Amino acid sequence: MFSRRTIAILKRELREKLMSRTFIIMTILLPLFMIGILAFQTFLYSYEGDSNTNLIIVTESDSLKAEMQKEFEQLPFVKSGYYKINFESMNNTELDKYINTHKSELLSETLTGLIFVSDSAMFTKQVEYFSKNPTNRTLFDKVRPTINNVLVTNYFRGKDISEEDISYARQNVGFNNFRISSEKSVEEEGAGTVIVAFLFTFLLYFSLIFTGQMMMRSVVAEKSNRIVEILLSSANSKELMTGKIVGTSITGLIQMAIWLLPVILLVTTAWFTLPPEFTLKLNMFQVGYFLLNYFIGLITFMGLFTSVGAIFDNEQDTQSGMWPIMMLIMIPFFIAIAMLENSSNSIARIASMLPFASIIVMPARMVLSEIPVWQFVVSFIVNIATMVLLFPLAGKVYRVGILMSGKKPKWSEVAKWLRYKY
Amino acid sequence: MYALEVRNLSKSFDTLKAVDDVSFSVPEGSVFGLIGRNGAGKTTTIRMMMNIYLPDSGEVILRGSKIGQEFKDKVGYLPEERGLYKKMKVMETLLFFAELKGKTGREVEDKANEYLERFDLTDRKNSKLEDLSKGNQQKVQFITTILHDPEFIILDEPFSGLDPINTNLLKEIILELKKKEKVIILSTHLMDFAERMCDHIAMIDEGKIILHGNLEEIKKSFGQRNVTISHTGDISFVKSYPFIEKFESFGNVTSIRVKNPSQIQELLKTLVEKNTIIKKFDAEDISLHQIFVEAAGKKSADKYRMEAANV
Repeated sequence: MFSRRTIAILKRELREKLMSRTFIIMTILLPLFMIGILAFQTFLYSYEGDSNTNLIIVTESDSLKAEMQKEFEQLPFVKSGYYKINFESMNNTELDKYINTHKSELLSETLTGLIFVSDSAMFTKQVEYFSKNPTNRTLFDKVRPTINNVLVTNYFRGKDISEEDISYARQNVGFNNFRISSEKSVEEEGAGTVIVAFLFTFLLYFSLIFTGQMMMRSVVAEKSNRIVEILLSSANSKELMTGKIVGTSITGLIQMAIWLLPVILLVTTAWFTLPPEFTLKLNMFQVGYFLLNYFIGLITFMGLFTSVGAIFDNEQDTQSGMWPIMMLIMIPFFIAIAMLENSSNSIARIASMLPFASIIVMPARMVLSEIPVWQFVVSFIVNIATMVLLFPLAGKVYRVGILMSGKKPKWSEVAKWLRYKY
Repeated sequence: MYALEVRNLSKSFDTLKAVDDVSFSVPEGSVFGLIGRNGAGKTTTIRMMMNIYLPDSGEVILRGSKIGQEFKDKVGYLPEERGLYKKMKVMETLLFFAELKGKTGREVEDKANEYLERFDLTDRKNSKLEDLSKGNQQKVQFITTILHDPEFIILDEPFSGLDPINTNLLKEIILELKKKEKVIILSTHLMDFAERMCDHIAMIDEGKIILHGNLEEIKKSFGQRNVTISHTGDISFVKSYPFIEKFESFGNVTSIRVKNPSQIQELLKTLVEKNTIIKKFDAEDISLHQIFVEAAGKKSADKYRMEAANV
């Protein structure tokens, strides 16, 4: 399949890359980095900034006050002192005066807010909230169920309704998530799926850009070091380019396989068990598809990165040539990330079958929802076709560019190269 | 029989005609010089001979058939602009380039060791290229050129950037390779080097071959009407004689061209009659540089001299 020259170049690339410090460091560092990102995200998500919340709940009746106090004091965030809640009872007319006496505290936010539960609230379920920042969704979400509970209990009391019915009425609606697939019946879905989809997308995005830039740097170095001329006195430009790209892509694949090792072990062995809320539906076919898709993606994108590297003879100039390729990676990345919110996103569905985009969007989509076989086939054919069509063009730009030096060429000149006879 | 024939090669880059209908032949076992000033088209011609550039038209014939990939295996090429992988070790580099040419195994390694010994690099065998001095890097590069025992050795400006000791070492090796009946093609803008090393030359100027053939014969044909005279005193009076075509004085050495070879004796006679003290009278002697001046014309020659002075 390859000439011995291509193989010699390929071997050199592999040796150089696999043994390089950058490769080893990246292979270890990236997973740590990713865990860091995930942890940071989780932290941001869970951090609501409502510590030191200091509330006063004022009820009109004393009995309601006692009940409120009893219910609230059972709550973990009150027990832990995360929320400080004081309880008062007074009637409507006294309230204004009471608020006035606490005005300075409210304005300085040492007192977060005051909730007034009038007797009529028992029928209307409307309570009043007084605060410097009267819309505080986090706070409402925390106190609402408890207030509701007390009101519900109070409303039904003495109405000849069993405790059972009351406790039913108090309960809120909860969502249990299930995935419908054609294979088996209905399966419970955990957060693991979204995590794996994110992992796939992020890994693709990151490593395509990272490997691509490394590749480009090495092409520019060969060009500016003038090694390329000696290489070309032994091999032709196609052999050289193929050797470099395949060598780099194999390195990339090995790295990816190392990163995915935990996922592969998770799928193939019973060594790890995930907590039920993280269960995910992933099989070896999907992991295999991901790796194959990544390999094709690498070869395709490396073709682009190599030809951009060949156009310029220093790294600074390459930046201007890189952005179109970066767009081809970043736009699909954002589409894929948007899809994590809603996997039936139709832009994502289309993107998963478009050249270049498919490489990044399809793996995440495949994890998030079941995909008809024909879409897999289309995506795969599109990827292969893109690679096959792109290669001769990239090869031509590479061949002309690699021996050019001096002034930075214009895009129109590069377009002309495609017609050069070389 | 020619080892290599270059036939009507042309190559343009956009509007620039870099190589214009270039033809010459390289005989077996010769040291062939491709001579011209910078930018004359030497490197482009060599790149086409190496199949790195495809010519717009023309062809290169290797012993009767068109060159292809197999030619690359038989060639050792030292480009004008040198370069190696900086992070690679010396031995790794040598073996990698030999492998590209299809040579692997013990034999190449032994040979590499031999050359390293010869170039005084044995102790740097496992050093990275970037840790070597520039001169040593050049030596390594030269070893990569000849390690695979090529039949053809193409050296583009081989002496540029070499110190006198390494220049001599390189010359020695070139002559050794010539004894082994290798075909050596070297491009240079240094006329006196070419004059001493080459037995065949092609002169190229502005993309065109202006002269080519056996160096001795060329010299002979150009030299027939040329005389170099070492003398004391002023001999500028001969300028006015009708048989003088060209008169160029460098103080005590003057080169003169007469209109007809037979007039050389007449010149000598005149000088003796005028009591000029002649220390040396060298007929049929002409330097390659003078030939270049004549062939390329004054304008090119002046440009050339300026470039040479800058080197």
